Amino acid sequence: MSLWGAIAGGFAGTLVLTTALRAGNEFNLTRMDLPFLLGTAFSSDRTRAKALGFILHFLAGLVFALIYYAIFVAIGRSGWWLGAAFGLAHGTFSGTVLVNTLLPLIHPRMGTPSTAATSVALLEPPGFMMLNYGPQTPLVSLAAHIAYGTVVGGFVSLAG
Amino acid sequence: MRRRDRPGALQRVGGYAPISSYAAIGDGRTVALVASDGSIDWLPLPEVDSPSALGAILDAERGGRFALAPELPYTAERRYLPGTNVLETIFSTSRGKVLVTDAMTVPAGGLGPLRELSRQVQGLVGSVPMTWSVEPRFGYAAASTRLGWRAGVPVATTGGDALAVCCFEAGAPELAAGVIRGRFEAHAGIRALVALCATHQEPLVVPTRDELESRLEATAAFWRGWSDDLTYAGPWRDAVIRSALALKLLVHAPSGALAAAATTSLPEEIGGERNWDYRFSWVRDSAFMLNALLGLSCAPEARAYFWWLMHASQLTHPRLRVLYRLDGGARAPERTLPLEGYRGSRPVRVGNAAAGQRQLDTYGELLQTAWLYATTGHRIDRDIARRLAEVAELICQIWRQPDAGIWEVRSEERHFTQSKMMCWIALDRARQLADSGVIPNRHAGRWRKEAEAIREFVETRCFSEQKRSYVRSADSDELDASVLLGVLFSYGDAKTDRWAGTIEAVRRELAHGPFVRRYTGEDGLAGSEGAFLTCSFWLVESFARTGRVNDAIRLMDELVGLANDVGLYAEEIDPTTGGFLGNTPQGLSHLALISAALAVAAEAER
Repeated sequence: MSLWGAIAGGFAGTLVLTTALRAGNEFNLTRMDLPFLLGTAFSSDRTRAKALGFILHFLAGLVFALIYYAIFVAIGRSGWWLGAAFGLAHGTFSGTVLVNTLLPLIHPRMGTPSTAATSVALLEPPGFMMLNYGPQTPLVSLAAHIAYGTVVGGFVSLAG
Repeated sequence: MRRRDRPGALQRVGGYAPISSYAAIGDGRTVALVASDGSIDWLPLPEVDSPSALGAILDAERGGRFALAPELPYTAERRYLPGTNVLETIFSTSRGKVLVTDAMTVPAGGLGPLRELSRQVQGLVGSVPMTWSVEPRFGYAAASTRLGWRAGVPVATTGGDALAVCCFEAGAPELAAGVIRGRFEAHAGIRALVALCATHQEPLVVPTRDELESRLEATAAFWRGWSDDLTYAGPWRDAVIRSALALKLLVHAPSGALAAAATTSLPEEIGGERNWDYRFSWVRDSAFMLNALLGLSCAPEARAYFWWLMHASQLTHPRLRVLYRLDGGARAPERTLPLEGYRGSRPVRVGNAAAGQRQLDTYGELLQTAWLYATTGHRIDRDIARRLAEVAELICQIWRQPDAGIWEVRSEERHFTQSKMMCWIALDRARQLADSGVIPNRHAGRWRKEAEAIREFVETRCFSEQKRSYVRSADSDELDASVLLGVLFSYGDAKTDRWAGTIEAVRRELAHGPFVRRYTGEDGLAGSEGAFLTCSFWLVESFARTGRVNDAIRLMDELVGLANDVGLYAEEIDPTTGGFLGNTPQGLSHLALISAALAVAAEAER
């Protein structure tokens, strides 16, 4: 296990995750667009928001890889299958807490069930397991996060 | 220009409004059709060539619509706000009047929905009970649509698509059996708003009322600014400017491509099978498009269009497809949809099998377009110049082959006269470009020789001494109005006896009043069709270019009067009823109108 392996895994895993989510968009399985969601917290310009969102998403991917690495170190084991399990937990956490509950609290443009009249355009809230973005969204999101975890776990373990 | 509908003039047949009752609104990405009874019966999302979210025009029962109208009997009068594609409808009832303003808004800074269709209702006089309902049916009504709420806003979702219905002072929205609806009282002075905010593969964005209203104003200002830049002071100015605005609706903003029309499968014969998807860009239209854009001083659009054409055709170089997708793609597989079709006109097709046909005239239109572009001071780079020369080389090899012709017949290929004429025009323009050093001239001698051979073929086999006219195809006696393009694109001297005879034969045998049929003879399809408006405008231009200016003016006056109440044309018109047929609004009809007006204006000035 090495820190550089985790960073490389985080980068590669985020590539895989982003590609999988984008493929989910293209196949009309989901309207979830994490770069758009993240970027619009900082910019109302669509193009800038998406560009910024991609950067933030990659940074988040690296941070999560480091968290995975810390847990691998703490338990003294790593591997692609363990990474896949972490990915499953991570995806579930994202859908139920991170994007569903925490993001609307801090996102200046995201509606919540208690939203009343506003002075800015509202972004559609994700709902439980992001189901508002399509009934297949949890599956796409979990599959993408499992793939991410698998890549991170594999890289950390391969980096010896 | 505000025209009045006769009271109660809009009679729906089996739920279908007359094609002539539709006005178009759009944002450079998609187009919605608004009937004069306030129902939006066509809206593909997110692009004009995407599946429909509202498609009642193709299936009145299942297609989906967005209705907005008084609950009481009314009369309606409509106009576009001058110089814009923003539509105004005044509904007059026994209890008062309301003004409905419809527009697909354009982005104006800030975070807005991917697509936004705004309908503002202003109470003018009295108090009018209004009702509205949105029946979204995504994917040509094939996708299952769920209705729900997001932060108090009703939404409709399916797969990758969704739309929110934002309403302000338009009653409390209700969800019921696939419908989002509301009703309200439009008192004098009230300003209610109902907007469709659509997304594709993204979370929805739900705008505020201020944002919606400000974008509506900005949209009107955008269109006014665009049309103010058009430089045309000749006759029929209103019709020319309206045509330019209609064409701008059909230009796909990201690429500059021109969609032939905003719809698919509106029939050329009610109940017939001649129903085609026109949401593609035809090379056939290119020379007219560039001529119109340059004639009206739309240089940015002309540049964008030329480069789109060169980019798209690169995929299949040196051969041309008949049509390309608006994103430049070459594939357009045709399939049929399980929809009723406009007044039972089946099949409803998406995609267009004509894409794979051999149509030799497209090469002529491409080189005519390049010639127009180069001779109006635009630069053609070396790579494009080399490709144009290679296209000319290809024409030398293939002009002897039969083809499907400009009208895309689905019968056996023939040696169509217009195709051969356009091959001559292609080689003639290539030679001129080579002579002026724009494209390589290594093979110019061969182009000249082959052009002479084409002319020999046309003059000996495609002219009927009996009819005193160029005919539809080699060795036939059928007539075809498309040969008039030979006059328009200068296939030889327009003022010869042969052209005078041809124009007269078209007028005599294909025209009935202002209406001109495309051709006589079979085309591989059952049934018949209406008069083709473009051919009528070509006849106007032919009159003008052969010195018959008074005939041209007379016919043009009649044709301008055939537009619908807001100045739009479909593809065809039924000579007996005056009703529109075919896809609408039709780019080629409007292009031909502009071209004819420019030609008459130029001749009148001489």
